Amino acid sequence: MSRTPALSRRTLLRGMGALMALPLLDVMRPRTARAATPAPRRFVAFYTPCGIHMPKWTPGGEGANFSLTPTLASLAPVKGDLLVLSGLDNLPGKPDGDGHHAAATSAFLSCVKARKTEGTNIRTGISMDQVMANALGKATRYPSLELGIDQGKGIGNCDSGYACPYANNIAWAGPSTPVPKETKPRAAFERLFADFDPNVTQAELAKRKAYGLSIIDAVRDDAKSLQGKLGTTDKRKLDEYFTGVRELELRVNAMDGTGPTCGAAMTPADSDDVREKTKAMLDLIVLAFQCDLTRTCTFMLGNARSTRVYSFLGLSGEHHTYSHHQRVQANYDALAKIDKWEVEQFSYLLQRMKGVQEEGGTLLDHSAVYFSSEIADGNMHEHKNLPILLAGRAGGAIAPGRHIRYGGQPLANLYIALLGMFGVSATSFGDDGTGPLPGLRA
Amino acid sequence: MHAVTACGWRWWKVGLAAVAVVLAAGCSDSLPKARVLPGPDAPVDPQDALCRSAARDPGRVTLHRLNRAEYNNTVRDLLGDTGSPASSFPPDDHGFGFDNNADVLSMSPLLMEKYSHAAEALVEAAWRRGAFNACVLDPAQPEACARELLKTFARRAWRRPVTPEEVERLVAFVALARQQGDTPEAGVKLALRAVLVSPHFLFRVELDPAPTSTVPHTVSDLELASRLSYFLWSSMPDEALLQAAEGGHLHEPEVLEAQVRRMLADPKARALVDNFAGQWLYTRALDFSQPESRYGFDEPLREAMRQEMQLVFQEFVTGDHRLKDLLDAPFTYVNDRLASHYGLPKPGTPAMTRVELKDHPERAGLFGKGALLTVTANPDRTSPVKRGVWVLEQLLCKGPPPPPPDAGGLAPAVDPTLNIKARMAQHRVDPTCSGCHTLMDPLGFGMENFDPVGRWRTKEEGGAVVDPSGELPGGKAFNGVTEMRAVVKQDPDLSACMTRHLLTYALGRGAEEQDRCTVRDISQQAETRGGRLTDYILAIVRSDAFLQRRGEAEGQKP
Repeated sequence: MSRTPALSRRTLLRGMGALMALPLLDVMRPRTARAATPAPRRFVAFYTPCGIHMPKWTPGGEGANFSLTPTLASLAPVKGDLLVLSGLDNLPGKPDGDGHHAAATSAFLSCVKARKTEGTNIRTGISMDQVMANALGKATRYPSLELGIDQGKGIGNCDSGYACPYANNIAWAGPSTPVPKETKPRAAFERLFADFDPNVTQAELAKRKAYGLSIIDAVRDDAKSLQGKLGTTDKRKLDEYFTGVRELELRVNAMDGTGPTCGAAMTPADSDDVREKTKAMLDLIVLAFQCDLTRTCTFMLGNARSTRVYSFLGLSGEHHTYSHHQRVQANYDALAKIDKWEVEQFSYLLQRMKGVQEEGGTLLDHSAVYFSSEIADGNMHEHKNLPILLAGRAGGAIAPGRHIRYGGQPLANLYIALLGMFGVSATSFGDDGTGPLPGLRA
Repeated sequence: MHAVTACGWRWWKVGLAAVAVVLAAGCSDSLPKARVLPGPDAPVDPQDALCRSAARDPGRVTLHRLNRAEYNNTVRDLLGDTGSPASSFPPDDHGFGFDNNADVLSMSPLLMEKYSHAAEALVEAAWRRGAFNACVLDPAQPEACARELLKTFARRAWRRPVTPEEVERLVAFVALARQQGDTPEAGVKLALRAVLVSPHFLFRVELDPAPTSTVPHTVSDLELASRLSYFLWSSMPDEALLQAAEGGHLHEPEVLEAQVRRMLADPKARALVDNFAGQWLYTRALDFSQPESRYGFDEPLREAMRQEMQLVFQEFVTGDHRLKDLLDAPFTYVNDRLASHYGLPKPGTPAMTRVELKDHPERAGLFGKGALLTVTANPDRTSPVKRGVWVLEQLLCKGPPPPPPDAGGLAPAVDPTLNIKARMAQHRVDPTCSGCHTLMDPLGFGMENFDPVGRWRTKEEGGAVVDPSGELPGGKAFNGVTEMRAVVKQDPDLSACMTRHLLTYALGRGAEEQDRCTVRDISQQAETRGGRLTDYILAIVRSDAFLQRRGEAEGQKP
């Protein structure tokens, strides 16, 4: 493993602007080489809203003989690491009546049809990243990492009678428990790194653990004494609390003061500019993987039905407006520009991952990086033939560099295959998964 | 600009998301019907005889986690910390239009982590400020002071008296610290942190005597105190309220009313402006508006618009205006920048100043407010559909059903010399669309004299003359915004709709079909007593939905 130059505390703080209370990171200290163990497998799900203009997306050709379309052009440097998967459907994303964006977004990784409600009794399914996190999460400080760009706007209804959690979350810990995402790069960075205190003595550390655990014991007792007095729905809420407490306990127990053993410089910018924000978030994903702080990550480039205005692309209308293109050329052109930009962000992530050398290959080689949207064509709200990219080799489980055409298979089957690569054997998933999608290993 | 096409599929989708209406799916010839929550002026529905006879279901509010605003306000009132620590928490989702909806306020490991960190930082900061100086922790015998301090703090933080066992468990942290060779102070701080991550602090706990019984019961006075304080202040009860509750008097109508009036007069009632009105009137969405640069929209303007809306609503919180007058209140608040944007005389100051709108009736009321007009426009043009839908959903609770996918989808034929109304005429020709659009579009046309950032105009950008006339189903015709808002103000469902939004917010749960009678009663009562916001709030607070709850039958919900 290559040694990286030590990073000074000042450099880091300068980059971080007003962030003051940052303890020394391990990366700033002299490093000891990490043992030559095989690199773990990692998974990223990259969600982008409002569908994709498919004519400019879908490559001609099949197998290794495919050519990148204008929308996919930025992926040229990683073309050999890429699978384009055509013809996969996520029919559980289809709503009752309207509400395609919210329903399909909650089904994006769960493949379960959402119950139509504005709030009461929300229900979809557990998402595949959380299934993965449940299986792999104990190995790392964070079982999973959820990142995104947009908060909700906090007004009105999110999509035709579907509650906002459906529209704003792709990660679901359970049928009614969305896993919220960090939308501020600095907060995400602090969460990952600010807890380490390399100067702490063993005795001090032991004391902190004891204190942390005693607080946890106390509040768990509080919660337990409540439990018996609550009705079904309230118990469910309290269960979420218990889960949080359990995770907190794991974190306290894992405190060891040594910090992450990785050496990438990092400058999280809290900017409202979606370009800077996206880059910061994607850098964080790479860093979190490099440091083995987590192995599963989801990223939402926007929330369902995004109304972002891409003024830096020369566009004045809202994304969602364009996506209802009405077969108007000007809208197609706008969509293609947005799609291209989105794919460029994905390409940036892949190239960063490809640039990280690990034992036995690059970070990208050890990962499965999944890109898609909740729908295909935004005008028709198609849940068929979704725009899907899968990059990386998942440590040898994927043979990339191809365009595979499936003549209609449940998307859930791709997830079953991916779960299998990560050691979770499943024969079914979501509402319509029947078995692992074939062909990924060639 | 390409644009309007047949049937407005796109126009619609551009719009604010549609409320799913219980009835009609898709557009059709028949007019979509609202969720039936009739107001006091509405013709009597024979079904409403039921409201008099049947046992009323007060519903139940799910265990309510504090949302970000509530957390911030609560630690402000509890510890004097105004640092808004919750702004670094992940965003709260919202349901039924509000982010205090208990059903969608989830707890998560990430949030738990944030709570834990915040608790530590809050306690340290408060300690440094001397917030716990009431007694001295004698190193030799610290327990007595610790007990007093923790009992007092936990009572306020948990919004109820704490049991001796609970207090002793907290005091035990002092012994733990001693074992670890630390000072009593360290132990007390640990206990304080435990109080702040306890479910009793993070959740508003309401207990049913029989959790599986659906027989309604009255909430305890202490639970009522929290209901009240989180409704009016988005924060914890203060000492006066807590004492009224502990004394067992809060449920008495006179005591309750006195508390409500006292609380509304408190500056903390500003929370109603920020959290209720900010969401009901969509002011919050102003943060996300990105109008085209050619409209000259910038941050000072955004801020002035936001403050205008807040100041106007603030007057309704404390003042004597009828709530319905929000639609045409003849005053507003402007500074020089906003005044010139609006074409009003400048007050001669950058500070927001109250002005009368006698000579500018077009600016009176909600429909003349830049904030609303901007958030209901597209970035690059007005959207009569968005504006019309806003009126229907937020004022009349008549959200039309969403259109069918790709409805029409005909190629657009754009003639820039036509005004928007003419261009949208197709909406009302195509039978699959006319049902909804005859309802939505005209209300938006009535506001067409306002451009995408709320400036007055008589010509559209393409040069066509604005036609702000419209006709609503049933033959009500109007010309321009002043006539249009009169029609809306007279709508028999206005009062009930305002009630419904306020009740949804007050309870932190959706007001649904089973609340029909409650909504009707509240709006009737409120209007009878004068129709001020205060009257609505008092009527809500006196309703069974606010005063009672019930358990949940086992297995009733999945």
